[in-house]
Amino acid sequence: MRKIGMALAIAAVLSGSVATAQTAYAAQSSHDTNVSIQPVLPAGPKLQLLDCYGTTGGMGCGPGWVWRDGWRGMGCYPC
Amino acid sequence: MKIRTMAGGFATAAVLTMGGFGYAAAQPGDFSTLPVDPNLITDSLAYSAAPPVFNPNGQPGVQAVYTHRDGSRQITSTVLVLPDAQAASAALDGARAELAGKVANGKTQAAAVGSGGTMLTGTSPDGSKSVTVLSFAEGNTATTLEFDGASTDPAPSDLVLELGRKQDTAIRDWQAA
Repeated sequence: MRKIGMALAIAAVLSGSVATAQTAYAAQSSHDTNVSIQPVLPAGPKLQLLDCYGTTGGMGCGPGWVWRDGWRGMGCYPC
Repeated sequence: MKIRTMAGGFATAAVLTMGGFGYAAAQPGDFSTLPVDPNLITDSLAYSAAPPVFNPNGQPGVQAVYTHRDGSRQITSTVLVLPDAQAASAALDGARAELAGKVANGKTQAAAVGSGGTMLTGTSPDGSKSVTVLSFAEGNTATTLEFDGASTDPAPSDLVLELGRKQDTAIRDWQAA
């Protein structure tokens, strides 16, 4: 009886190890090493230059310029 | 070379004047086409012109006043047509002396326009306006272009020079016609 118990215990331990190993292998094989996965990086801060009034500007005037009616009439003038 | 050219020009003018074909004699009193409209170098609608004043202050020539549509800027063009270059130079000196009392904190710098071109920048005596005056001679003409604006909005020097050069070209074309 004692020998039978010991044999069952050993069999249980061995079968458990084998099953665990298969599970681990199965999990490992699900990763395809040929696929390159790019890490998702957080978007960096975007730089939006502003016109003289702190807005994004109008009429195509670049940063540091503003659309207004000046000496040359309507046009882009420096801040 | 330049001096020789100028001397030649003066001699030619003197000969033409003596012969009765001086600049003023060639186009007696027809000064209406002399002033250059500043709309030529703007968005073409910025300025409106008042009727020209002929022979301002009893001197032969023309004065035109252009007012910006928002009323805050004004350009006054004065072209005097005198008997000869010496008279034009003397008239220019007189105009500059008069301006000295009209412009406060004035700074004068040479301007590459016409002959003896200078640009005076400053403010009105009470400080309420910016004042820029470009003056130059061309042959027997003496020209002043005055730009009046808000104290915080002086006329840009590139605009002053551009209009001045166009005015100088118009005078030379008028003289050659």
